[in-house]
Amino acid sequence: MISPSAYPWAEGETLGQHLDERGIPRRDFLEYCGKMAVILGIGSAAAPRVAKALESVKRPSVVWLQLQECTGCVESVLRTENPSIGDLLLDVISLDYNHTLMAGAGKAVEKAKTDAMAANKGKYLLVVSGSIPTKENDIYTMIGGKTARMQLEEAAEGCAAIIALGACAHWGGVQGARPNPTGAVGVRDIIKNKPILVVAGCPPIGDTVTATVVHFLTFGALPEMDREGRPLFAYGERIHDQCQRRAHFDAGQFVETFDDKGAREGWCLYQVGCKGPATFSPCPIFKWNTRTSWPIEAGHPCIGCTEPYFWDTMTPFYGRLPDVAGFGIEKRVDTIGASLAIGAAAGVAAHATMTVLHQMKRRKATRQVPEATEDEGANNG
Amino acid sequence: MNVTSDRSARHPPGAGFLEHFGKPVPRERGDFTWVYLWGAPLRIMHWIAAVCIAALVISGLYIGRPYFATAGEASSHFMMGKFRFVHFTAAAVIVMTGIVRVYWLFAGNAFERLPALFPVTPRNLLNMWRVVRTYFNLHTEEQPHFIGHNPLAQSAYTGVYLMMVVMVVTGFTLYGQSNPTGIIYHSLSWVPALFGGLQIVRLVHHALTWAFVIFVVIHVYLAVRADYVERAGVISSILTGGRFVSSSDHFEDLDLSTGHPHPWPKE
Ligand code: HEM
Ligand code: SF4
Repeated sequence: MISPSAYPWAEGETLGQHLDERGIPRRDFLEYCGKMAVILGIGSAAAPRVAKALESVKRPSVVWLQLQECTGCVESVLRTENPSIGDLLLDVISLDYNHTLMAGAGKAVEKAKTDAMAANKGKYLLVVSGSIPTKENDIYTMIGGKTARMQLEEAAEGCAAIIALGACAHWGGVQGARPNPTGAVGVRDIIKNKPILVVAGCPPIGDTVTATVVHFLTFGALPEMDREGRPLFAYGERIHDQCQRRAHFDAGQFVETFDDKGAREGWCLYQVGCKGPATFSPCPIFKWNTRTSWPIEAGHPCIGCTEPYFWDTMTPFYGRLPDVAGFGIEKRVDTIGASLAIGAAAGVAAHATMTVLHQMKRRKATRQVPEATEDEGANNG
Repeated sequence: MNVTSDRSARHPPGAGFLEHFGKPVPRERGDFTWVYLWGAPLRIMHWIAAVCIAALVISGLYIGRPYFATAGEASSHFMMGKFRFVHFTAAAVIVMTGIVRVYWLFAGNAFERLPALFPVTPRNLLNMWRVVRTYFNLHTEEQPHFIGHNPLAQSAYTGVYLMMVVMVVTGFTLYGQSNPTGIIYHSLSWVPALFGGLQIVRLVHHALTWAFVIFVVIHVYLAVRADYVERAGVISSILTGGRFVSSSDHFEDLDLSTGHPHPWPKE
């Protein structure tokens, strides 16, 4: 698929020349630039600018570290049925180092990496997928005899910018879920002195990565980001506010079980635990697998995988609210709340009975001294 | 201080009728004084808040667990939309009311001002304990009397104010999510960070709803109970602003001879 490419992008050759050589029609290239300009939120009118910048780009150096992870991000980003220009772009820019995709192995490969980093010092783009384990002196992930932290710190040293790819590099991922036995953390917890962009998701959508790379190549800088470090062009809006089932939400039409009428009619998945109202992600627009579909379109509630700590805070995936812990068994907040309210009402009824009985006794006693000036007492309400 | 009628000589109307059934109403005797306590702004705010809280709880519980299954086209319904509209409108009203209440913490009378919210004196600890005892009908002769709120009631009301602040903060945090470039989103972006995620914010917002339900149940009961036990017109005081007190009563927070009410006097 990706590397080793049959058409290596030669040193010194521009991207325009390289695409020519590969026989990519210019029309396709311009179309692609237009699409990217739209995704980046700079408008299709900016397409010529993107095209011009991309055409003259010389082969950038990219180092891709995979630390404590499952390789799903690489799969998501690179594996598509018909390679588009976007995939090609990733193909051609790639890759001085990626241990899953490289043909070589062992010491030679580690040397290739250090050579590339030395040759492109201050200029290469570092892509990181996977988390960094920090417990027991970082021993839980070792690559080429070094811990993940050492690998990351070494590679970050001379890079121009970092793309943290996927939930693991974002905040720790599934291995960072409670109780986080390896002490997994994200890239931003380790590296503080480089621009870091987070392409969030478990895994993220490939288009987001290519668009970010295009932005980096066009403008020489990372795009605008939110507090999480996610690019705003992709993560600027909630799923809930872009969702094709939203009309059913407003109407009050909800799927209650996955085999009911509502499910067949494509109603809103709120009641079966959809986390769209708490999740910022481009899924409804970019979609998955060369724009085939996306979870909610396919009938599955969003699990909120672009949000930090989603394994802890977005679970249960098929329930709307987090479970209330500490009762031995899992109980929903409504069960507890309603029980307490009923308890309060019952307590009030019992107390009222007691008060009435007490007052009746008391008043009976008072009645026997009808002329008493003793007052009943005053308010305390 | 508004002094009105002396009711000592009068029988309550209808007392004869009730006596017929063997249940004489105890007659009130002595000098009665009408004490004006709650200013009109406070009373209006109380009832606006009551209506808003009812609307917020009902619409909130629907938002949290929508249940009217509606068949047909989405375009022919707007059920969730309507409940959310009610919720957000009531939210806006209660925030406005809250702003006036904050102003009234400085402009109101002694019972409505900021210091009145915090009955933190050693004497009040003892009084709080005595109030609790009388709620169990024990040692009722030692019940301390207050013209305003007793310290236990006041603590509950202050707690409700704080709960409302949490509701408003969490509610507007959820509300702001739909416009992430807006001012609400940005000014409240510390909230999800503080709670550990938006879902926790949602959970807190949802769970506290039940605290309001429980509060309303107990609050209404205790008001009715006070009216029943003490026959001092406590419910009427949130409508008219004042109530009658007998000159023979001793109040912790009112000196009838000087006519200077003050909550939580130092000794
Ligand atoms: C006594 C006051 C309030 C009560 C009892 C209340 C109750 C509730 C409840 C039970 C929910 C459902 C939560 C869930 O399960 O997701 C909810 C949702 C919500 N509330 Fe409140 N709320 C109150 C005040 C407010 C205020 C002041 C605001 C400010 C705008 C607000 C905004 C919201 C929003 C935005 C939602 C989520 C609606 C959605 O996701 O569509 N609430 N409220
Ligand atoms: S399916 Fe999820 S994201 Fe879509 S409208 Fe319903 S709750 Fe919102």
